[in-house]
Amino acid sequence: MSAHIAPHSLPVTARPPRSALLLGIARRSPTFAAGLLIVLAFALAAILAPWLAPHDPVQSFPDKVLLPPQSDFPLGTDGNGMDLASRLIFGSRYAFAILLPVGLLSLAVGLPLGLLAGYRGGWVDEVLMRAADVLRAFPTIILALAVVAAAGPSLINVVIVVGLLDSPIFMRLVRAEVLALRRAPFVVAARAQGCSTARIILVHILPNAILGATAQLPIRMAWAVRISATLAFIGVGIQAPAPEWGAMIRQGAEYVISGEWWVATFPGFTLILLVIGLNLLGDGVQDLLDPRRRASGK
Amino acid sequence: MLKTASTFALRRVLISIPVLLGILFVTFMLVRIGQQDPAAMIAGPIADPGILTQVRKDLGLDQPIWVQFGAYLMRLLQGDLGRSWQDGTPVLHHLLSHLPITLELVLPALALAFLLGVPIGLQAALRPNGLFDQVSRGIALFGFSVPTYWLGLMAIFVFFYSLGWAPAPMGLLSMELVAPDPITGFPTLDALLAGDWKAAASSIGHLALPVLCLTLAAGGPVIKQARAIAIEILGMDHILYARAAGFSTRRIQRMVLRGALVPLVTFAGVELVSLFATGSLVEYVFARGGLGHWGLNAIMQSDFAAVQGYVLALAVCSVVVFLVVDLCTLLLEPRG
Repeated sequence: MSAHIAPHSLPVTARPPRSALLLGIARRSPTFAAGLLIVLAFALAAILAPWLAPHDPVQSFPDKVLLPPQSDFPLGTDGNGMDLASRLIFGSRYAFAILLPVGLLSLAVGLPLGLLAGYRGGWVDEVLMRAADVLRAFPTIILALAVVAAAGPSLINVVIVVGLLDSPIFMRLVRAEVLALRRAPFVVAARAQGCSTARIILVHILPNAILGATAQLPIRMAWAVRISATLAFIGVGIQAPAPEWGAMIRQGAEYVISGEWWVATFPGFTLILLVIGLNLLGDGVQDLLDPRRRASGK
Repeated sequence: MLKTASTFALRRVLISIPVLLGILFVTFMLVRIGQQDPAAMIAGPIADPGILTQVRKDLGLDQPIWVQFGAYLMRLLQGDLGRSWQDGTPVLHHLLSHLPITLELVLPALALAFLLGVPIGLQAALRPNGLFDQVSRGIALFGFSVPTYWLGLMAIFVFFYSLGWAPAPMGLLSMELVAPDPITGFPTLDALLAGDWKAAASSIGHLALPVLCLTLAAGGPVIKQARAIAIEILGMDHILYARAAGFSTRRIQRMVLRGALVPLVTFAGVELVSLFATGSLVEYVFARGGLGHWGLNAIMQSDFAAVQGYVLALAVCSVVVFLVVDLCTLLLEPRG
């Protein structure tokens, strides 16, 4: 890389330009790039919703009920005469209002518990793991439905319930990571030097454990979006006329047998696209973090 | 062999008791922290405070929570799961009569998902990142991401509304047919046993779309799992030697399948338990009235005894499924 290059060009080549870095990542994991693109598009739609949406998402046009897709209403209108396209765009705000806090909450609960269980071991570990077993042995969606139905339908209840139900996954993940790291030479060395437990956990173990957990984050967020849509579809989550995708599918369900297919179809496509994007992003992050995984094609 | 299996089973059942107790406690608590007051629901909207206090006393709601939980456990041990306040029928009766309807939906879907998904996953694993692998990964990703209830709605639109191939998405049989007397409780099986071909055909017709939707949703994870397991086995030494010795691809695939049997059986258990949940959404969309549909209704109506019974039934199902899985594993790999 050096001898034949003129000296004045060195500072430029010393660090590849940012665009080259992005391209490099995209080449190493197209999955990651595709996922990131989809998720960013939804994030933009959520932020710019008022400017992107042709109509107010909850404004009802009483004389324009159940119109098929046309120029004024690109995806048609629903049974209340509301514009589907605008509702879908504003719906991405609900998706992010669920997936961001749910991800943070389940990480914030799961991470310390996993550190504790893994580092302490003994009865603390035993109790925490048994509790996680209780939740794992059970179809989570039903538990979420039952708890949210009992606690009352609101965004905050959905976030708390879904976040807590998902935290054992992170706890398990972090615990496994800690168990592997506890005997790692650099941790043993730190302990031999007389580092305090807190320092070992915070400085030596936590950064490594966090990496493994964040790789799982997008996939868990995809799950959170799905489950909150399911709650809304059953009618115990966020309620119509709020433009939440699951609630919109619920509204459209009755029109499927009378031929107004667009009311239920488009929210479903939108939901699938975001879930696919998040899953691709998660797979991509894991590919980038663990090149062996990519090579073996797992 | 038989003796180890039975002590093993006994151990497993004993271990699952704390898990069951935990799930029971969670459901018991959640109906009590809820907004709805069970006494008010039973007494009705026009009950005066005197009647409410009386109902509360009858239900034991004036007792401390742990006394209530204890009493609940005692009643459970006697097989009394309480009564649904919607129709006054014992919850246990509901559970037992609705379970076969759900099994008739879930079991064929699970079988189909494995019969289709495992060969696809194995084939994809032979050449990772090849064309077949890319396509099957796409299918798996779609199966992972599509909401089953939405898939059901789309299937209804296409096959019932547009093409007219499928029967109306309601119930287990066409309206004009009379269901044969229940023998086993499984609607299709009963029709076949009674020799009522018309009812059997109608019953299978009503089952087709729900089973297909559930198969697609269950197939995604199966493909992904089968592929991952096969890739791991393909990297093992004995397969490498077999390949070096010039074994045919078919033979190597058979070896991989043999090695994949135990992890696949374990995964089938996990899938079955989650299909009970996903299946409830499909039952709801197709109005099939199985265990899941009934349970979702109970949740929506705040029918406390019914919700507790439903959650308990699911928990017991999952414990039984995992027990059967462990016993199968023991039979397949006796040295483990």
